[in-house]
Amino acid sequence: MSLLEVREISLSFGGVRAISDVTFDVEAGELFAVIGPNGAGKTSIFNCLNGVYEPRGSIKLEGLELTGLPPSKIASLGIARTFQNLALFSNLDVISNLMLGRHHLMKTGFIAGALWVGRAKREEIVHRRRCEEIVELLELTPYRRQPIGTLPYGIQKRIELGRALAMDPKVLLLDEPVAGMNLEETEGMARYILDIRDELGVAMVLVEHDMHFVMDLADRLLVLEFGQVIAVGTPEQIANDPNVIRAYLGEAS
Amino acid sequence: MATDDTALRLLPTRFSRVSIGLVVAVGVLVPFVVSGDFWMTVLVSAGIFAMGAVGLNVLTGFTGQVSLGHAFFLGCGAYTAAYLGAARGWPLPLWLLAAGVIGGVIGGIVGPFALRLKGNYLVVVTLGLVFIGIHIFENWDRVTGGTNGTSTSQAELSLGFTDFRSFSIPGKDFSELQGLYYLVWILAGLFVLVSANIVRSRPGRALQAVRDRDVAAEVVGISLPRYKIGAFVISSSMAAMAGAMLGVQQQFVGPTSWNIFLSIQYVAIIIVGGVGMVSGAVLGALFLGPLPEIVEKYSDKLPFLYEVKGEGGIVSIAAFNEMLFGALLIVFLLFEPRGLAALWLRAKARFRTARSTP
Repeated sequence: MSLLEVREISLSFGGVRAISDVTFDVEAGELFAVIGPNGAGKTSIFNCLNGVYEPRGSIKLEGLELTGLPPSKIASLGIARTFQNLALFSNLDVISNLMLGRHHLMKTGFIAGALWVGRAKREEIVHRRRCEEIVELLELTPYRRQPIGTLPYGIQKRIELGRALAMDPKVLLLDEPVAGMNLEETEGMARYILDIRDELGVAMVLVEHDMHFVMDLADRLLVLEFGQVIAVGTPEQIANDPNVIRAYLGEAS
Repeated sequence: MATDDTALRLLPTRFSRVSIGLVVAVGVLVPFVVSGDFWMTVLVSAGIFAMGAVGLNVLTGFTGQVSLGHAFFLGCGAYTAAYLGAARGWPLPLWLLAAGVIGGVIGGIVGPFALRLKGNYLVVVTLGLVFIGIHIFENWDRVTGGTNGTSTSQAELSLGFTDFRSFSIPGKDFSELQGLYYLVWILAGLFVLVSANIVRSRPGRALQAVRDRDVAAEVVGISLPRYKIGAFVISSSMAAMAGAMLGVQQQFVGPTSWNIFLSIQYVAIIIVGGVGMVSGAVLGALFLGPLPEIVEKYSDKLPFLYEVKGEGGIVSIAAFNEMLFGALLIVFLLFEPRGLAALWLRAKARFRTARSTP
């Protein structure tokens, strides 16, 4: 059994088929990339995986069916994601954003929180320690007490990665982690992603436009075109796949 | 490692501990200096406004849900004080808690609307509550006394050996107003503590996440129904307890007091005080809460005001108060949207830099 099993999922908006019969597996510790032209359905797949959309078909995490569950439930089962256009809590500082990643691992409710006795405080200390480790891993220490809204874009991208990581996920979904970044920032992000895989062994699903970035990083790739899978394989297999070459370079006449 | 207990403290710096200590000390000493009924009444009102504003701040400031229904929940609490406290003779802790529970339950019933509605739509729905409320208060004679209202003057105000209506320490007897002053500010202090604790722990962070970006909040595992409704329950429960105290202070509860102007007053208090800051609600309550009473007191010094039409002046006291609130809202939203609390933070920062650069 694979860690994540996606079987023939389809999704339509009105009459438009965003994705049709997409099937793939992600293994534990694998870096799996989803690529394809604009509008191919990459982000739609992410939205299905974490429950924002409800597709037909089946998505299983460690054998447990995810379709039909609300996003908050899926998150607590171990699927974390980052967003293409950042979705941080901009009035809160870095630590609070990461602590929110740990929300589903904590238990303090309104009453315990209001009284701030026993568990509320102990829990806060334990989880804060884990967040500080992530802050160090992603080299965010200088910013830890600053409200997110004031920080540069590249840093915010990294904080979002940190928040997803703070969730202790089984699968991490990264939606265009280097979009809008310069070369230096892109290399930095690649390094953090490799660190995460090597040190934490988290499986990752990555959507990205930057072909070099994906080809260098991914263990396996899935290529989408008009919502359909046209190829799945290692970077070498993909680079030589006639369907992929046709989709990206056009038909040789 | 940088995880330190000080970061988790409510008052992390010595400066903050000293300032809070001073504020509390001044608060305790006030009745020894102020004995006039007018200014004591003003301070009691401010304390009640602080209780309610801290509650509204949980909903509007931290969860980002603007509600104009606060007056309705205050009314529910006031009638609870009259019905259970005065008419049935329940002891203080019981009728006060009952007010909180009733407010919380009604808040929990209204809360689910907030799941489907956002922004202006939620404002309109909560505004509707105020009108429904006035209708119920006017017509449910058996409990509310209908349009005649009902009295709260018999409500029990003692806790253990302390009767807040008349208590004394060696060398000093306190008046009923002074007793009420201590009671409402103790409650306001408790509300501040409760909401500050919520804000620095898991549930409060979740509320703020919902406010900042609800889709992302769901994706990190925060249940929107739980926290949106939870905010409503806390806020309306605090409002009802504030309303219960207001009913007792006024000795009489009538149906028309729980109107839109009261709701707007609360929104103005948290905006002027500082939205999303616990201290802001208290500052706003001190500054704005008793303003109408003060204006009324000094209306004879302001020639453009009249109390009865035809005695000169161009605007009635009530209308002037409404305009004053409107003007203050506009000024603060334009020039200091984070309110008095932000002014204070800025002054503190300036003080720090001045001290560190000799």
